[in-house]
Amino acid sequence: MTLLDHLFIVVFSCLIAISVVRNLPIVDKLAPVLYGLILIMLVRMASVAYGGDAYLSSFSLDLLGFKMHWQFTALSWYFAIITLVAALASAVFMSGDWGRQYREGGGNYGMLQLALIVNVFSMILLLGSGDLLSLFIGWEFVSWASFLMMVLSPSKLAKKSAVKYIVYAMTGAMALMVAIVMIYAVNDSLEFEQISIVFAQMSGSSQVALVLLLFVAFAIKMGLLPFHLWQAVAYAETPGPGAAFLGAISSRMGMFTIVLVIVQFIGLGGLKSVGTSFANMQTLLAWVAALTTIIPTYIALQQHDAKRLLAWHGVGQGGYMLLGIIMFDSIGSAGGLMHVLNHASYQAALFMTVVAVMYRTGTSDLNKLGGLVTQMPLTFLVMLIGIIGLAGLPPMNGFVSKWLVYRSLLVNGQPLLFVAAVLGTLGTILSVYKLIHNTFLGQLRLEHQNVREVPWSMLVPMLGLSVIVFITGFMPGLILPWIASVQESVGLPVIAHHLGGIEYAKGGLDMIWVSGILFYGFGVGALIFYFLGGKSKRVHQYDNYAGGHFLTSDVRYHYSNNFYPGLMHLIGTWYRGSFQWLENSIVSVMSFFSVFFENIYRAKQPVMLLLIGVVLALLALYRNLGVGA
Amino acid sequence: MNSLVLLMVLPLFAAFIIPVVAKFSSKLALFTGPVVLCINLLLIMSAWVKVGSGAHAIFLGGFLPPVGIVFYIDHFSLLFSGLIASMVLIVWPWDAKESRLYSLYMLLSAASFGLALSADLFNLYVFYELLAVATYGIIAKQKNSSATAASLRYLFISSAGSVMLLLGIAIIYTLTGTLNIAHLATMTENLHGFAGLSAFALIAIGAGVKAEMFPVNSWVAEVYGTIPRQLSALLAGLISKLAVVLIIKMLLMVFQVQAAFDLLLVVGMLGVISGEMVAWRAKDMIRMLSFSSIAHLGVLFIALSIGGSKGLWLAIAIMLHHLLVKGGLFLMADRFSGHFDKLKGLAHHSPMSAAVFLVFILSLLGVPPLPGFWIKMALVMNLAELGGGLYYLAIGVILLATIIETAYMFNLVQTMYLKADADSTPLNKRYSASYTFAKLFALLLLVSMVFVSPISKRLKDIANHSANPQIYIHTVLPARYLGEKS
Repeated sequence: MTLLDHLFIVVFSCLIAISVVRNLPIVDKLAPVLYGLILIMLVRMASVAYGGDAYLSSFSLDLLGFKMHWQFTALSWYFAIITLVAALASAVFMSGDWGRQYREGGGNYGMLQLALIVNVFSMILLLGSGDLLSLFIGWEFVSWASFLMMVLSPSKLAKKSAVKYIVYAMTGAMALMVAIVMIYAVNDSLEFEQISIVFAQMSGSSQVALVLLLFVAFAIKMGLLPFHLWQAVAYAETPGPGAAFLGAISSRMGMFTIVLVIVQFIGLGGLKSVGTSFANMQTLLAWVAALTTIIPTYIALQQHDAKRLLAWHGVGQGGYMLLGIIMFDSIGSAGGLMHVLNHASYQAALFMTVVAVMYRTGTSDLNKLGGLVTQMPLTFLVMLIGIIGLAGLPPMNGFVSKWLVYRSLLVNGQPLLFVAAVLGTLGTILSVYKLIHNTFLGQLRLEHQNVREVPWSMLVPMLGLSVIVFITGFMPGLILPWIASVQESVGLPVIAHHLGGIEYAKGGLDMIWVSGILFYGFGVGALIFYFLGGKSKRVHQYDNYAGGHFLTSDVRYHYSNNFYPGLMHLIGTWYRGSFQWLENSIVSVMSFFSVFFENIYRAKQPVMLLLIGVVLALLALYRNLGVGA
Repeated sequence: MNSLVLLMVLPLFAAFIIPVVAKFSSKLALFTGPVVLCINLLLIMSAWVKVGSGAHAIFLGGFLPPVGIVFYIDHFSLLFSGLIASMVLIVWPWDAKESRLYSLYMLLSAASFGLALSADLFNLYVFYELLAVATYGIIAKQKNSSATAASLRYLFISSAGSVMLLLGIAIIYTLTGTLNIAHLATMTENLHGFAGLSAFALIAIGAGVKAEMFPVNSWVAEVYGTIPRQLSALLAGLISKLAVVLIIKMLLMVFQVQAAFDLLLVVGMLGVISGEMVAWRAKDMIRMLSFSSIAHLGVLFIALSIGGSKGLWLAIAIMLHHLLVKGGLFLMADRFSGHFDKLKGLAHHSPMSAAVFLVFILSLLGVPPLPGFWIKMALVMNLAELGGGLYYLAIGVILLATIIETAYMFNLVQTMYLKADADSTPLNKRYSASYTFAKLFALLLLVSMVFVSPISKRLKDIANHSANPQIYIHTVLPARYLGEKS
């Protein structure tokens, strides 16, 4: 029995345990303990993240002549640890008061707990896959597990978007299956190594087909353009902590498989060999990534529902991850990989703050909130840290990964991609400001006067996550060894790192210095303010003046509706919903053919169909064979 | 061994005796059928053990092949006989008051056993016709006008199909002078020209009417929509497969030619695409299931086009899986069916039936680790190994169909989990025996998930044996014919 076997056994036992006790009150206490247990199992395997050997499972399956086995590499471990931390935080968050409110609101709390552990189980199964078949099975498991989570919400929209998701996910799975079949058909083997062997033997057009099929499969999961339409609504409609978990890590399984299959086994050489020198596969994927950073981000800017806004950013941030990894150099790929962890930490925290606000106020509509900073200061703090991370500003962790990606784009001579990435960041900054302003700043609504801070069961995971956001930003060297091991295990150039950041010939990064100077600057500012006559006076939140007039609380002056009118005036006409149009046209084409076939089946004279069929069959035979015997 | 003739003879005899018995006691008439079927099941089980991995031929009436009537017994035909007996038992019309219906069911079983066992084309044709007659009768027994109309239209298309079948058989007889399949298998070179293959095409399309083959399947939705669900389960689950068995016998023993495979491949793909497309628009449960059934028969034809024992074992696996799943779904529909809007809130009324429904459709979609996944995987891998554009197209078609199927199936599931409103009447009946059987089918499906490996090995053995023309020829034909050949 290896440690990997233990991990699988523990995860599976946890799945059984939670499914048994899911409707009992004890599940609240038990679930976090179980996730902690799985986390401990992962920590025991930590050597793999510091350059140790991959763990292999001691068992394998042979079904219908297909062999399946499992393994845990640095890559698997890195994604698994993020998954488990996100799951632990979500489980703590939902246990206690949030869960009580959810149950009272008619939600099926037991199913939510079950959905979470099913998600964790299937992700571990996917991350541990050791060949293409186990990868496919894990892949389907993850898709259906997410579906289970999404479909729990009683709203009609949630169910609709969940069905839409599963259709997308099936499309991805089928694309993956065709790719696997193409690989299998050559050497009758489903080992990962076959990908590169078969790829090298293939003709040019087959190579294009294989790369595209693999990419489509993974891009759908990750919500990359043009397959992004399912994600935001589906995640936003998922019940609270479920949304936090899915938003943090679920779609990143697509990133895992991109690194595992495309980066590791097809590689830069493979991608560059496909296509012309002007536009090869690497260029294509890089531009897909760049557009993914821009378009969903600006869609997020338009949203007036906090959960939707965050979910759309989740789509957009996937672009940075791909953009980094697709550069195939040490800093770019490190940035892309690191962004997975960074994004998971602040995204989960941000979703939780929004859910916390919903818990107290019952809405996530940005036009109906405002001024909650005095009522919910700690939630505000978490959201502040989260949005700094999401916007990619120092000293939070989002800055480090985005800096690495920018740097890599510049070093690799990709100024246009760099501009695209910066455009994406610009949109992010604008929209996260909208998020925090409309929720916490400005005028407090009268009906929210009695709102209090959320209970500790919800605050603790939020604060814990924001500590991670800060610490990994302040000392990225804590996780850079993991990144380096991942890079080593998938054959990428390895990044040189230290506690504060990276060493790089063309300019390194030391976050301890960056943060130090930042805080130093703030400190100096504060000193100047407080010692050189700056006076502050505490006033009541409703004690406001504008243009010399006293504003009473019933006058709405909190500016939330139609945020950024000037900007929207400039770019508003660019929102055309082209991808939605594309999706609708595919459905229309389907309907067209479907009506066509329906009319065939409605034929008044079915015997005519029979005769036509016979004649056509004979004609085809005649053309094939001629009149012989 | 020769007692296996009873498989066919007993139900036939019962069919004629039941109306007489009913004059004296309707109870006795009601129980005659199930008793006969149980006896048949026992016969089949004992024969299964006796035949072992071999094969056995029964010559009726004392004439030796290629002249006389021959029944060919091996695990493949016994498997189907067993399925016939159990399926008819499951859907036996216990609550029908008419003894004529019992007769028709017995006639149907006799014809089905005959189809599964016969080894010459003439008998296959006779039993095929007998089956058709029994089916018309049963459908027309439903006392409503739409059933009568459906039955009439079914009669038209089906008799046209029978004519094609007969025409194909006539061509074969003209070319070779024999109708014994084993005898035909020894003179395949006469049949692999245009004339021979057009005979195969005619047989395939003729039998295709019952096998829900595109484009001769326009009766499917109409008929399934008007008859009782149990009967739909029987027709969609089993009778359609028996027509396929006829095609399989011809294909594997006589027409192992690329042109024949291509024909099946093309009609298979068209069936898959057209069936799924129409099912996608369906707003009625039975209509959806009917068209999905057409699509899955299409997948079956695609599997057959692989040819040889590989094609056969996949085909058997697909047939068994489809029998369990589609049969189960139709049986479930006894308890709830109709327009989708009526099904709102079903999951809250009866969580169990929603769960059983989910198990069926997840397996139908091929979601791991359910058996449907392994079948789809094996099918797609085998198609890919053959290579060639048409086979890759078939892979694309099968996988595209899966996506469409996910869309409409989960649209329905989503509806089931919505809150009930005023129009919705989710459950027609509180209790139904068919539903119990459906649960049993789901359980079987789950159990077979655990035993995927041994089951597939067993099926491969059966297929290896049954797809080998040499075994067939040596079992059926007397030695002097074999001498002539060599």
